[in-house]
Amino acid sequence: MKLLKRRRLGRLKTSLALLLTLGLLAAACGGSSENADSSESSSDRSDSNEGESSSGDRVEIRWFVGLGTGSQEEQIDGQEKIIEEFNDSQDQIELVVEFVDNGTASSVLATQIAAGNAPDIIGPVGLGGSNAFAGQYLDLSGLIESTGYDIERFDETSEIYRDDDGLTGIPFAVFPSAMYYNKDLFDEAGLPYPPAAYGDGGITTYGEGTEWEGEWNYDKVEEISKILSVDVNGNDANSPEYDKTAIEQFGYVNQFTEDPAAMGSHFGAGSVVSPDDTAKIPDQWVAQWKWYQNMIHNLGAAPSFEYQESEVMAGNAFNSGRVAMANTHLWYTCCLADEDGNFRDNWDLAALPNYEGTVVSKFHGDTFRIHEESEHPEEAFEVLVYLQDTAGLELLSIYGAMPADSGGAGNFFVELDQQFTQDVNWDVIIDGLDYPDVPNHEANMPNFLEADARIKELKDPILSDPDFDIDAAVKELESDLDEIWSEG
Amino acid sequence: MDISIFSGQADDNTPTAKLNSGSEVFEGAQARRERIRGMLFVSPWLVGLGLFYVFPILASLLMSFTNYQLVSDSGVSTEWVGVDNWRRMFQDARVWNGLWVTIKFAVMFIPMSTLFPLGLAYLLTSERLWGRRFFRVMFYLPSMIPFVASVMVWRFYLNDQTGWISKILGSVGFEAPNLLSSKELILPTLVFIAMWGVGNSIIIFIAALNGVPTQLYEAARIDGANKWRLFRDVTWPMISPITLYNITMSLVALGQYFLVPFVLQGPSGKPEGASQFFTMVFFQETFSFFNGGYGATLAWGMFIVVFSLSVVIFKTAKYWVHYEYEER
Amino acid sequence: MTTNTSKPPVANYVLAPEPKTSFSGLSRSSKKFLGKAGLTLFAVTMLTTFLLPMLFMTLSSLKTEDQMSNGAILPKSHVVTTVDGEELDLYVVPLPDGSMEPLGLVTPGRQSSVFFDPATGKEIVWEGRWRTLQPLLETDPSVGNFEEAWSRLDFLRLLRNTGVIAGLGMAGTIISSTLVAYGLSRFRMPFKGLILASLVATIILPRFVTLVPTYAIFSEIGWVGTWLPLIVPHFFANAYNVFLLRQFFLTIPRDIDEAAEIDGAGPFRILVTIILPQAKGAILAVSLFHLLYAWNDFLEPLVYLSGNRGLQPISVGLYEFLGLYDTAIPLVQAGAILSMLVPVGIFLALQKVFLGGIDLSGSVK
Repeated sequence: MKLLKRRRLGRLKTSLALLLTLGLLAAACGGSSENADSSESSSDRSDSNEGESSSGDRVEIRWFVGLGTGSQEEQIDGQEKIIEEFNDSQDQIELVVEFVDNGTASSVLATQIAAGNAPDIIGPVGLGGSNAFAGQYLDLSGLIESTGYDIERFDETSEIYRDDDGLTGIPFAVFPSAMYYNKDLFDEAGLPYPPAAYGDGGITTYGEGTEWEGEWNYDKVEEISKILSVDVNGNDANSPEYDKTAIEQFGYVNQFTEDPAAMGSHFGAGSVVSPDDTAKIPDQWVAQWKWYQNMIHNLGAAPSFEYQESEVMAGNAFNSGRVAMANTHLWYTCCLADEDGNFRDNWDLAALPNYEGTVVSKFHGDTFRIHEESEHPEEAFEVLVYLQDTAGLELLSIYGAMPADSGGAGNFFVELDQQFTQDVNWDVIIDGLDYPDVPNHEANMPNFLEADARIKELKDPILSDPDFDIDAAVKELESDLDEIWSEG
Repeated sequence: MDISIFSGQADDNTPTAKLNSGSEVFEGAQARRERIRGMLFVSPWLVGLGLFYVFPILASLLMSFTNYQLVSDSGVSTEWVGVDNWRRMFQDARVWNGLWVTIKFAVMFIPMSTLFPLGLAYLLTSERLWGRRFFRVMFYLPSMIPFVASVMVWRFYLNDQTGWISKILGSVGFEAPNLLSSKELILPTLVFIAMWGVGNSIIIFIAALNGVPTQLYEAARIDGANKWRLFRDVTWPMISPITLYNITMSLVALGQYFLVPFVLQGPSGKPEGASQFFTMVFFQETFSFFNGGYGATLAWGMFIVVFSLSVVIFKTAKYWVHYEYEER
Repeated sequence: MTTNTSKPPVANYVLAPEPKTSFSGLSRSSKKFLGKAGLTLFAVTMLTTFLLPMLFMTLSSLKTEDQMSNGAILPKSHVVTTVDGEELDLYVVPLPDGSMEPLGLVTPGRQSSVFFDPATGKEIVWEGRWRTLQPLLETDPSVGNFEEAWSRLDFLRLLRNTGVIAGLGMAGTIISSTLVAYGLSRFRMPFKGLILASLVATIILPRFVTLVPTYAIFSEIGWVGTWLPLIVPHFFANAYNVFLLRQFFLTIPRDIDEAAEIDGAGPFRILVTIILPQAKGAILAVSLFHLLYAWNDFLEPLVYLSGNRGLQPISVGLYEFLGLYDTAIPLVQAGAILSMLVPVGIFLALQKVFLGGIDLSGSVK
C-alpha cells in the first residue's frame, strides 16, 4: 500500500509537470488557432492546398451546393454536366463542386468556414438558409458595376437581397404559393373545386352558383375541410359519429409549410420584431396557430404530426391522396409523384383564401452567394453569372424553380406541363407574386439562429399536443426572444 | 486517482507484476533497456496522442474561455472572456434541462444496460436451453443495424397511428400511448430502443460466465446451494470485474449518447425538450448556433461530469468488485 | 437438502462434501425435458418481442408504397379487374338479393357509388358507403425495393469505399494497438499511469469537442475530401482495443516469454512468435469490433467526405439515401436491410469464434 501511495504521488508530480509544458505549448498553438479566423491567413491556406489539386494555371473556384435545394440525387448529374460544360468553355477557371445533404449542409459549411476553408460560391440558397450565414457574403455591387451586369431587369425583386453588407445576391429563382387540391376527393364528396383565379384585391368566391357559394376565406376552407375529412366508416367530420382515431382522409394541410412563422404568414405577413425592438408575435399569426390547432385536434380536419409521419402518409401528406387541399409553394411540384416516378395527374392549383380581407401567397426566393473571403472574387462572379444566365434555364428546371426574370417563365412552365399532363392552372400561382408576404416569413432578425430555433419550438406542440396552451406559449416565446436578442 | 483500475484490475497487484518485483532485482542498465523498449512499443500511441489529440483538446479547452464563433460576422474578433462561458453554463436553463434529461435517462439506462444483457447472457449460457448458438446469433443481430437504419425502423414501428405497437395494443383493447410525443414516455422509449444495441455486452457477459470455473459451481451445488445462492456467492463475484467494465462503458456511451434522439426527435429534443440530452444542447450551441466557445465549455462540462462519475464508480468498486487473486 | 445458511467464501465450495441428490415423483429425464422446453419457450418469447421491429422492417421492405398505405401487415395488393384499359379495385359488395359479389369500384361517392360487375359486364349503382366494404386483397410481396435500393445507393461503390476504409483502418489499429498493448503489459516504464489515463480520457471526451480543431488540422495538410483522416489515425492505436488486448496479454503466463528471452529472443520476436499465436481470438475480436465500428461510423466520414461523394462509405451513403427517400418507407427499409447484410454475413461466418472463443475474462479466472 505504501508503495502504491508513493507511486501515486510521483505520478501527480509528473503529470503536473507535463500539464505545464502542454500549457505553454497550448499558448503558442492557441495563438495560431485564433489567427485561423482572420481572412488573410486562412485564404492563403486554402489557396496552398487547393493549388495542388487544380490543373495547370487555372484558378479553382469551389461551389457549395446543399444549403437550399440542389443536393438531391436526381439533381446532381444535371449540375455536373453544367460544370463540365463551363470548364470546357474556357481555360481560366476550374469550377469544382461539393454536394452536401441539406440536413447537414449548414453544419458542414460552418465547419469549413471555421477551419478557414470556405467555398467561393454558395447556393442556391433561400432567405432562411442565408440568414444563418449573414455577414459572410460578398457585396456584389462593385462587381455588378465593373462588369456592367444588367440588374435593372429584376425591378424591385433584387432589393430582397440587400442587407447591411450591401447587395449580396442577384434574384435567381422565385417560388410563390397557391392552393393545391386533389380533384378526386372533391369529386367523391360532390363539392365544387376551389376558385381558379383571384378577384379584386385577391378576394374571390367559392362555389359560385352552387349551394356552397361564399367568400373564399379560411372559414370556408374550414367548412369544406370538414366535409372532405372522412373516417373509416365513411362519416365526415360534421357527423357526431366521426371517429377521430381512425381518420381515412383530411380536408387541409400546411404542406411542408408548418414552421410557425410560415403558418402564421398564411393569415397575414408580419414580423416578430416590433418597432421598439422588443418581441411581439403578430396577432394574425396567433390566430392562425389556433385555427390550425383546432383543425387538427378538435375537428380532425387536418393531419397531426403523428398522422403525417405514419405509414399511410409517409411524411408527404398531400401526395398520399389522403388530403384534399394543401397550401404550399411552387417547389412542391418536386414531390407529386408515385414511387415509380410517375407524376400525379389528379391535382390542380387554386387561389389562396383571404383572412379578414388579406390574401398572402407566401414567397420563397433562391440565389447564389459569393463568400467574402473568396480569393478570386472576379472569377467567382464570372461563374455566378454563368450559373445565373448562361446555364440559368437548365439549372432552374433541375431545381424546379421559376425564373425571377419573368422573361424565362414561359419556357419553364412548358417543361412542367410535360411532367403534369392535366393542364395545370399555372396562372394562379404566377398571380400569387402579387400577394407576397412582406415582410418575408424568413426575414432576418437579431441573433437569427437562436431566435429562429426558439420560434420553431412551437411547431411540434401545435401539431401534436391537443391541450397546448397557445396564449401562454406566445407570452413565454416573447420573453424568451427578448432575452435571446439582448444576448446577441 | 489510480488509473490502472480502468483496465479491470489493479496494475501493481497482477501476479506477473508481483513475480517481477519479488523474484528479480533490476539492474540499472537492464531497467533502462526495459524502459526504452517499452516506450518504443507504446510510441504509436504517444505520437498519435500528440498528433491528433493534444492540439485539438487544448484548443477546445482554450476556446471555452473565448467568445469564439464558428461563423462570425466580419469585424467581430475572437476575444478572451475569462470564465463567462462557465458562469453562463450554470445559469442556462437548457443546460440544466439537458442535464436533468440525461440523469433521468441514466437512472434507467445504466441498470438496464447491465442487467438486461447479463440476464440474456445467463439465459444463453444455460445448459437447459436448446439451440443456444441460434439464440446468441439472433440476439446479437440488431447490434449490427446501422443506427440511421434502426432509427427509421423505430420511427414507424412506434407511430401511434399505424405502428405495430399501437396495432398490438389495439388488438387487446388498449388505446396506444403516443410514445414519441409524450413527455413522460419518451425517455423509457429511448431506453427500450437502446436495448437493441446490447449485443456486445451480451458477448462479453457470456465470455465472463463461461470463464467462471465449473468446479466452483459443482462444489456449490454439492453443498446444496440454491440458484440464487449460486448466483450471489459464485457467479456475481466472479463476473464483477466485467460488470464494472460494462458499467463504465455504459457511462462512457452515455456521455456520447446523441445520435438516436437527435435523428428521431430532432435537435430540440421533442416534445418540448423532454428528450434534449446534454449532448444535444452542446451540439445545438456549437453546430446550429455556431457558438464554438460556449459549446466547448459545455463539452468540457460533460467531460468533467463523466470523468468524476467514473472515478466514483471505481472508488466504490472495492466494495463490490471481487478480484480473485486478492484471495490468494 | 443441506442447510447451509452461512455465506462461505468462494473457495470453500471446492472443499465441499459429497453430493446429495434428491429425487422427486417425475422421472429425471422427463423433468429435464420439461425444464428445457419451458426455458426454450421463454427464450423464444423474449426473442420474438426483441426482434419484432426487424420483422416489421422485413415485411415493409417487401411492400410497394400502395401496399404500405393500405394498412395491412403483410404485403397485400388490391385485386383488380380491367375495364377499357383502366384497373378497378375489387370490393366484396353485399347486393340487394343477399349475395356477396366482388365488384370493381368505378366512381366512389359518399352515399352511393358506381360499381362494375365483371360477371355481367355491367355497371350498377350501389347505395351505401364504399369505405365500409371489404376490399379484396391478395398477398403480393415484391423484391423490387431491393433492386432499386441497390442501384440508387450505388451499393457496390459504397461497399468498395467502406471496404478500403475499414480494411486499412483495421490493419492499422491491429498493428498499432498490439504494439502498444504489448508495451503496456510487459514493460515497466515511467508515466505508465499517465499513459493509461490519456487513453481513457480520449474515450470519455466527447468527440464533438475536438471536431473543429481536428478538422482544421486535416484541412491544413490538405486531407479533407480524402480517406486519409479516416484511416491514418487508426495507425496510432486506440483505447478500446489497447485495453482489450492488454487485458488478454496480461493473462498469458510470463514464464514462456522469459524463457524465450533467455534463449536470446528480442521483445519483438517474443511478441510475434509467442504472444500473437495465443492471442488470435482477441485479435480477431478487435478486427471485428473495428469492422463494425467502421461500418457504423458516421460523423467523421460525413464531415471529411461531404464534398467528395464518390469516396463516401456506407454510413453516410445510407444517411443521405434515407434523407432523400424519406417518404419512400419500403425503399428505405430495403436499404437498411442491405446495409446490414455484410456485417451479418461476416458475423455468421465467424460466429463460432466470436460467440464462444473470445476469452475476455482471462483475468477473472
